[in-house]
Amino acid sequence: MSADNHEDLQQHVQKYKKIGWLLAIFTVITVALSFWELPTHGLNIIVGMIVAAFKASLVGLIFMHLNHERSLIYKVLVFTLVFVIGLFVLTYYSHEHPLVFKDFDGYTSGH
Amino acid sequence: MDIPYTTTNRPDTGLYNAKIGIWLFLASEVMLFGGLFSSYIFLRIGADFHWPVHELQVLPGFINTLVLILSSVTVVMAWANLKMRKIAQYKLCMWITILCAGVFMCLKAYEYYGKFNHIGVKLTDGTILTGHFPEGGYRVKLEEGTKVTINLKTGDPSYFLKWVTTENPKFKNAAGEDVLLDQQGSVMSLLDVFLPGDWDKSSFGQLKRTMAEAKKTSVELTAVTPLTIVAKESKTFGHTGKTITFRDGTIVEGRAVEDKMTLQVDKVDVRAALDEEKSLAWHYLGDEWKKAFEEHGTEEAEKHKSFDKNDERFLRHVKQMEIHAPTVAEHNAKHGGAKHSAETHAPAEGAHGAEGHGSHYPEVVLERKDIGFWSSFTPKWNNYYAIYFTLTGLHGLHVVAGALVLAYFLLFDGKRLKEDPEHLANRIEVGGLFWHFVDLVWIFLFPLLYLL
Repeated sequence: MSADNHEDLQQHVQKYKKIGWLLAIFTVITVALSFWELPTHGLNIIVGMIVAAFKASLVGLIFMHLNHERSLIYKVLVFTLVFVIGLFVLTYYSHEHPLVFKDFDGYTSGH
Repeated sequence: MDIPYTTTNRPDTGLYNAKIGIWLFLASEVMLFGGLFSSYIFLRIGADFHWPVHELQVLPGFINTLVLILSSVTVVMAWANLKMRKIAQYKLCMWITILCAGVFMCLKAYEYYGKFNHIGVKLTDGTILTGHFPEGGYRVKLEEGTKVTINLKTGDPSYFLKWVTTENPKFKNAAGEDVLLDQQGSVMSLLDVFLPGDWDKSSFGQLKRTMAEAKKTSVELTAVTPLTIVAKESKTFGHTGKTITFRDGTIVEGRAVEDKMTLQVDKVDVRAALDEEKSLAWHYLGDEWKKAFEEHGTEEAEKHKSFDKNDERFLRHVKQMEIHAPTVAEHNAKHGGAKHSAETHAPAEGAHGAEGHGSHYPEVVLERKDIGFWSSFTPKWNNYYAIYFTLTGLHGLHVVAGALVLAYFLLFDGKRLKEDPEHLANRIEVGGLFWHFVDLVWIFLFPLLYLL
């Protein structure tokens, strides 16, 4: 990203300030929401994470200029995303279905 | 040779090289923190204890979130101002960013300090009491004949002597000679006893060499007087009742004649107690506090009657109570319990009137046999604190590293600012990208650790 134009940059600065305020407001919302007990705590976590993801995307898109980057960076990020999701799935999988080597020494096979 | 593509974009990638570098680095950082967030989920799902919610003070975390947001705005403004060659504004924004990093770390230190000095005690019936040591540490009185082994490679007598509260403790060495150590525990005076003769006592290096030549790595002393030790938990590795191992390697072994824990209780948690009615907490705190606890439970249960009785949140509100004053009457007065009588109560049995110490909490003296496990709020206490310190510690290191890099650009890149500001602007952009990433991680950490 290269915003060399003086006026463009001036506008960017104004935008950064606005996003800063928006992030601060959403931080207050996050705190307030955590004290508002939804039917289940799981819902509280989901809502909290949605707000956090929204804040994170503002930082990523605006401050880190991901709203207008070169394609190479997106390619790198897509790979990262795939691996991170894989990492989370593996953790989930290991918790829900621990890897068991069936028939290993006949120990778990029920023989 | 000049490094290529520092200001101009490489034709094939369309980017200057440093930018590809930082994004690849950030990709690896995403994996690092992703792994830790994944561990967080794993630990939380598998937790065999009540996962703390709203247990950390929200205010410092909240302020830190705002501070990081401000710094993210200022760092990107620094970059834009440098692009526009507004040097004064660029410098101001950079200074604010670095200042924000300082504020963040100070608040982090304040939080950590609070946790290191806050004690959790799991009683044998599952009841948890939390609070503080009035004397700063767990007090143990060991009978005379206690053996003290000082590891001279890693420590010195001054370390353990700081925590000995006995006036003029007396020791004998292996040869049975008297060794009188002052409370400051001078290393030199001790070594003089064990390494008599002429040697240069002027430097620590010389001392180490002398020790090495004498093949001495430790000194064994026997206490002639009983020893009372009140050590901060952070200064010891462990405490078995018979043996205290200090962080510098000093080992104190003896029979405890007094081994009771004095604790100023600031919270009672009976969620894991076998029988909350007969919880050991009431044995120590007395019936007045039990009654206050029950009234608190009834009030909270009424407030949260829409919840299932086994809902974690219901238990959190009903089965634990924070204590705000040394006596029930003061606690009720402070806590808006107007319906409780305002008469002053004599301190409950086992709960020493702590007003004399200026304490804000009731003080109890716990018998060793009733203590199942105790620790400060460090990774030792439970997996929540383990992941809390791992995540926030690693994040804090990133804050420090990011601030150092930005400070370097601000303070030591003046030549580049004059001769090649475009290159410096790119450097600031790259440093800024890292800084935003640090902010981004915190955006998830704050709700996960402090709020949810």
